[in-house]
Amino acid sequence: MTRRLLLHVGTPKTGTSYLQDVLHRNRRTLAAAGISYPADRFDAHFLAALDLMRLPWGGLETEAIGAWDRLAEQVRDHHGTSIISHEIFAAASRSQVGRALRDLGHDDGTEVHVVLSVRDLVRQVPAEWQENVKHRSSISYARFLRQVQDPAREGRIASWFWSVQEIPDILNRWGHDLPPEHVHLVTVPPPGGPPEVLWERFSEAFGLGGLDLDLEAERVNPSLGVPETALIRRINAAANRQLPPADYRPLVRELLAHQTLSQRTGSPRLALPPEVHPWVRELEDSWVAEIRERGYDVVGDLADLEGGPPPTAWADPDQPSEKQVAGAAVDAIKALLLENGRLQQEAARLRGDLDAAHHDLERSYLRPTYRLREKAVRRLQDARLGRVALRAYRVGRGRSSRSA
Amino acid sequence: MTVSGERRAWGWVAHLRDGGTTPWADWRGEGTREGVYLPGAQQLELLRRLHLAAHRDGGRPSPRLVERIVEASAPGRGTPDLELVGATDASPFGPRPVDPVDLPDAELTRVATSLIAEDLVAAGARRPHEASPLIRPWRTRYRLVGDPWLADPVREALVARGRPPGGRGSVVVVLGRDVATMVADAWTSRCFDEGSVPWREWLDPFAAGHRVPPRVDLERAAATWARRVGPARVRVVLDPGALPRLLGQRRAQRRRRAQRRALPQPPALAADAVDLARQVAAVLGLLVLPSQRADLLRHTFLPRLLDAPGPPLLLPAEHAEWATQRAVRMRDRMLRAGYAVHGDPDRLVPRPEAVAPAGASGPTDAGVLALAVRLMLDETQGGSP
Repeated sequence: MTRRLLLHVGTPKTGTSYLQDVLHRNRRTLAAAGISYPADRFDAHFLAALDLMRLPWGGLETEAIGAWDRLAEQVRDHHGTSIISHEIFAAASRSQVGRALRDLGHDDGTEVHVVLSVRDLVRQVPAEWQENVKHRSSISYARFLRQVQDPAREGRIASWFWSVQEIPDILNRWGHDLPPEHVHLVTVPPPGGPPEVLWERFSEAFGLGGLDLDLEAERVNPSLGVPETALIRRINAAANRQLPPADYRPLVRELLAHQTLSQRTGSPRLALPPEVHPWVRELEDSWVAEIRERGYDVVGDLADLEGGPPPTAWADPDQPSEKQVAGAAVDAIKALLLENGRLQQEAARLRGDLDAAHHDLERSYLRPTYRLREKAVRRLQDARLGRVALRAYRVGRGRSSRSA
Repeated sequence: MTVSGERRAWGWVAHLRDGGTTPWADWRGEGTREGVYLPGAQQLELLRRLHLAAHRDGGRPSPRLVERIVEASAPGRGTPDLELVGATDASPFGPRPVDPVDLPDAELTRVATSLIAEDLVAAGARRPHEASPLIRPWRTRYRLVGDPWLADPVREALVARGRPPGGRGSVVVVLGRDVATMVADAWTSRCFDEGSVPWREWLDPFAAGHRVPPRVDLERAAATWARRVGPARVRVVLDPGALPRLLGQRRAQRRRRAQRRALPQPPALAADAVDLARQVAAVLGLLVLPSQRADLLRHTFLPRLLDAPGPPLLLPAEHAEWATQRAVRMRDRMLRAGYAVHGDPDRLVPRPEAVAPAGASGPTDAGVLALAVRLMLDETQGGSP
């Protein structure tokens, strides 16, 4: 059977978390259809990408050691179709892409397809700033925009932004050694359309049509509004020094941002400032023209990459409505209180279990037979002959524990 | 990509693979495509610098090292691999192509650290002292805290001699020296453990906040231990000559050859060497677990850095007043608390030679790159210990 690899390399904020969640939860159904999604944990491909690209990621990189080699081996060992998906692969350099394709068997006859899901830059720019904020950054929106617009692209924010968002450049790096028909672009529909359209496009690109997959979303990367993002940014500025990354992830990103603040629906949404809008639209047009010329397989419509008009009323996240931020903060405090209460109850339950275990242990110690055995062991241990006898007894009993 | 530009670039790649040192801007030859993609400008310029250094020393990097550089990629977030200016059509996409000569030294060092880290992992940790399986029952019970750059090698040597720290009635030895040197020691120690931010990025917030790094604060360490074991069992040691006696080493020194049994001195390193260790630590963190990283840095990498040229890490002149104030405050508080101090308490005050002359500011990008290049050449020529 021909080995075939579908390598989904980005871009961020294009429904990738949802796709990866569906693929991970439906691994058995996929396997029954001859499709391998080699991931023993939902973020396995993320770790593999960190390992391939030697990227530090708030301490997670220690879990990533060796992850790329393991993933590549699983792909090479599977005779059929394999799928790899993570959006940070978009940032891989040409040499890293070269290594990735080599490790995945591109030179040994594996048919490699690169899939890139893409969304208009008008929505991607504010979404990337929000991702920065959800990853501990306290950079203002204005400063972020200045850095992104700097033609020199110096600094980590600008270089990262363009490495994962500049579609023609990503495809230069990932697609330069592939025929254009093996490069597939999945466009994210404009806002307001039926939500299932994006999945249908993914399904078409990955050849999942006809499979009975559970599409219920468990992991998504939801967006925040203007006051909610401003609040997280303020929390970052206040707590970053004290809050280690291992605590930030569950408390700030998951509990506050994803589970609590993303549920607030009435807030103004993040958008491009009207003065930046024309610059971004011009870029989008040049990208669409370039992609059209290259002849890639487009699943969806390239017109989806042309962002909508600027909002009629733009809310500046650097100068948010304090009333709205206060409302978000109250929701955040409520969530933290409820979580704290839950943890206290959990701690009380565990303390109760521990007390009960101690009690049982004490009772067993207080039993006359236990005390008698303990006394005997102590006496035996005091004499050389006794120690030998005790060792012989333990060996005969088949255990090496020194406990009585 | 224009044909002539591409051929010229492949010609330059072949020239560099062959040991050439001509800068890209002066290169006029042509070559044929020898790979799927053109290596990045950072990798090629690093290779050229390697050849320049090798020519100066009369050596030559191994073909394997040459290929590793050509195929390398800079680790972490930062500037991506860049195209050579003039090798490609002026594309509106991707980062701007560059003349490699214009690349900052730090960008070349990024690529080099990846290769050095790989070499360290391949070499494995070489501990000079293994913990002795025989623990001396008659050993002096001690705990050694304070300046980690002073205390860690001493503790390790004692463990190797069957004298691990701890035990009932331990005396707590708080080891230190002048505050300016201890500040440099604290950053150095971090660089050889978990890595750190650059020197000034780490140092300046402490000075601005009128506080010292926790590992430098001898008074705080002494107070913490005094609360646990009582002040009578805390000794602040500012005179290294007092250390053997407090740690129970005097008799052993008399009986055996003094040189072999003497307590180790802290390694003296150039500022550039420490900064290179910091950068290599960041990459090692992506290749091995934290405990292995510290072992590789301290026991495999550090010996290679001992003869690195350059001035030591010194406190910048503008922070001398801050260090002096903190030292005086530390001295006064320790004396008020009544701890036994071995050595003149004024030894905490920065020595003039521990403060950099005005204008000097620790490691330099050029020095760090030169050292990285030298280490790569040593590795390929079998010159490493």
